[in-house]
Amino acid sequence: MIESIIAWVMALLAFIAAVYAVEAKDLLSSAISVGIASLVVSILFLMLHAPDVAITEASIGAGLTMAIFVYSIGRTERWEK
Amino acid sequence: MIFMYIIMGILAISIFLGAYRLLKGPSASDRAVALDALTNITTALLVLIAYLSERFIYLDVALVYAILAFVGVIAIARYLEGGL
Repeated sequence: MIESIIAWVMALLAFIAAVYAVEAKDLLSSAISVGIASLVVSILFLMLHAPDVAITEASIGAGLTMAIFVYSIGRTERWEK
Repeated sequence: MIFMYIIMGILAISIFLGAYRLLKGPSASDRAVALDALTNITTALLVLIAYLSERFIYLDVALVYAILAFVGVIAIARYLEGGL
């Protein structure tokens, strides 16, 4: 019961974060939203009993991808025109 | 056991509150702090899922996530300071 509620919350939050990452004009906020979506999807993988996929998603998606995005925003420019 | 389910509901509510600040927050600093708070809440939720499903290999996910989300928050803070 409560697991299915948590799964619905996570799926809704992943959807909202993904839409916000596309729509935002501030690219730093977009990078943070991508990190949140990756985090939430990692929890969903864990609840579907796939801990190896969840470890890979958490390390690559939440750690490395967001750091590389922030680094490239620092090299180029922050606001979308 | 019912106590753990109550804690899981409280964590779900607090994830919604953190996501509200993440979407509403006017500046990027608010969003970075909201991301850090959501990282801590999510680590607690991962440990709770590992406890409730009685498979302690799931604790590794929480460990790896808690280490690597720290790198992301450090990168954002370093960018906001102007050093990156």
